[in-house]
Amino acid sequence: MVAIDTATSTLSLNSVAGEDLRQLFERWQQDRDEAAREVLVLRFMPLARNLARRYDRSSEPFDDLLQVASVGLLKALNRFDPNRGCSFASFAVPTILGEMRRYFRDCGWSVHMPRGDQERALKVREAQETLTAEHGRAPTVNQLSVYLEIDQEQVIDALQAGQAYEALSLDAPRPGAEDETMSYGESIGENDDRYELVELDATVVAALKHIPAREREMLRMRFVEELTQTEIAQRVGISQMQVSRLLRRSLAQLRALTRDATSRA
Amino acid sequence: MASSPPNVRLSLAATAENVVLVREMLSGVADGIGLTAAHLNDIQTAVTEACNNVVLHAYEDRPGPLDVALCLLEHAIAVEVRDRGVGIESRENAEDDGIGLHVIRTLARTVEVDRPYGGGSRVLMEFEAPEATPLELDREDLEARTLKLAESLSLTTVSIAPIALAGTVLPRLVSALAARAHFSTDRISDVQLLADTLVAHARTAMHGDRLDVDVEVEPRALELHVAPIVPGRGRGIVSESEFDGLGRIIEKLTSSRRVRTADGYERLTLQMTDRR
Repeated sequence: MVAIDTATSTLSLNSVAGEDLRQLFERWQQDRDEAAREVLVLRFMPLARNLARRYDRSSEPFDDLLQVASVGLLKALNRFDPNRGCSFASFAVPTILGEMRRYFRDCGWSVHMPRGDQERALKVREAQETLTAEHGRAPTVNQLSVYLEIDQEQVIDALQAGQAYEALSLDAPRPGAEDETMSYGESIGENDDRYELVELDATVVAALKHIPAREREMLRMRFVEELTQTEIAQRVGISQMQVSRLLRRSLAQLRALTRDATSRA
Repeated sequence: MASSPPNVRLSLAATAENVVLVREMLSGVADGIGLTAAHLNDIQTAVTEACNNVVLHAYEDRPGPLDVALCLLEHAIAVEVRDRGVGIESRENAEDDGIGLHVIRTLARTVEVDRPYGGGSRVLMEFEAPEATPLELDREDLEARTLKLAESLSLTTVSIAPIALAGTVLPRLVSALAARAHFSTDRISDVQLLADTLVAHARTAMHGDRLDVDVEVEPRALELHVAPIVPGRGRGIVSESEFDGLGRIIEKLTSSRRVRTADGYERLTLQMTDRR
């Protein structure tokens, strides 16, 4: 790969403006004149950087994005036909974006949660625990964004992804829980098959009985004792993201059970 | 888009921070229909371009509205971005050299740019989305009431139909707004519980299969106005959230609740705060 280090180049950008772009493309594409290509790279590097920046909110590191955009730019410089009358940008943008989209697919973006997002969700969870321990209360999104040096939108997405990720990683060993050897799966109580056992005449009270004991206890802590989710997380020995996910799930199950009971009654 | 009513419509002030809400809405729809990250990324990137164009160039330095409508089609998603500012042709040669439009053309299957009657600009994009499928809508319900544009620029208004789609869209949107109101992650999770509960109980209380929510953000406070509720059913949304032994979930999560009647419908206002 050709070095695209703009800072160390001895060529002046000012010379590009005066020189005919078409000539530069000919010198590179027909005569393989490396100097001409370097001028073109310098001239259009801002375009590649501009496009890479548009993906900066993704979980992929910016340097990697820029590298991929640069590869796309080199391809565009090789293939662009200056005689066809369209601007280089109109040709280069699809070529560079094509390269970036391929890169995202290779990073697992063809699935619902790319690897980068999973890693970021874990980092946000760790930061949440660190900051909670430091300040004695749950952090704001802004505090997390400052601490992790990522923007607030990325934190919000990570909080969402975190809940989904926690659901995927139920079997991961959970250090620091009441019982060191318990996995998340074991620590949250009985098996979900119990929901099948709803009686025809189940009442709302009965519905609550069909929620696993641990989740029922968490609901009680949140809505009767009125503890915060962080306090519940500390008592139960799981993360706040996990508490959030379990509360959402168990409330949804309660509603479903109640609805079934009412519609059958 | 003109032929089919939108599934989600978002009306907000054209500001950079609000573009995040548009992306959160798109993520919510993606969650709802199981769209892959790669497709979502393309749609978010293109729609962000169209929205940034409005934010940067439509109103010069004045405030103005940004309106985004999304429609689920057969294996495709259509997104329309509208403003009421200066025409898009006059912005085309702005500092980004028209790169934005090249980006949109690359990522969208089709793009239409025009100046609708009444002023402003409209960018209509259609994206490939293998997982998308049109959702059944009761058109009469939707057309009976004209969808209003944001009345006040301090409000974020979202309209979602059918209500089932709100299950993944509303929690994401209100979480982002709660973050803006400086809520802790604790309370943001509570906001999600409230949004889930609201969507679940709205199904039987709303007039038609559509949920409109206006959100007001204050420091450490969030106000949700929910409409159009069938007269007499507003309080029911709150009381139906009760589970024996737990109390009324909506009451436990909010600091105040009121119901008002306007235009023949009820409107439920819920306030949430984060006192620390």
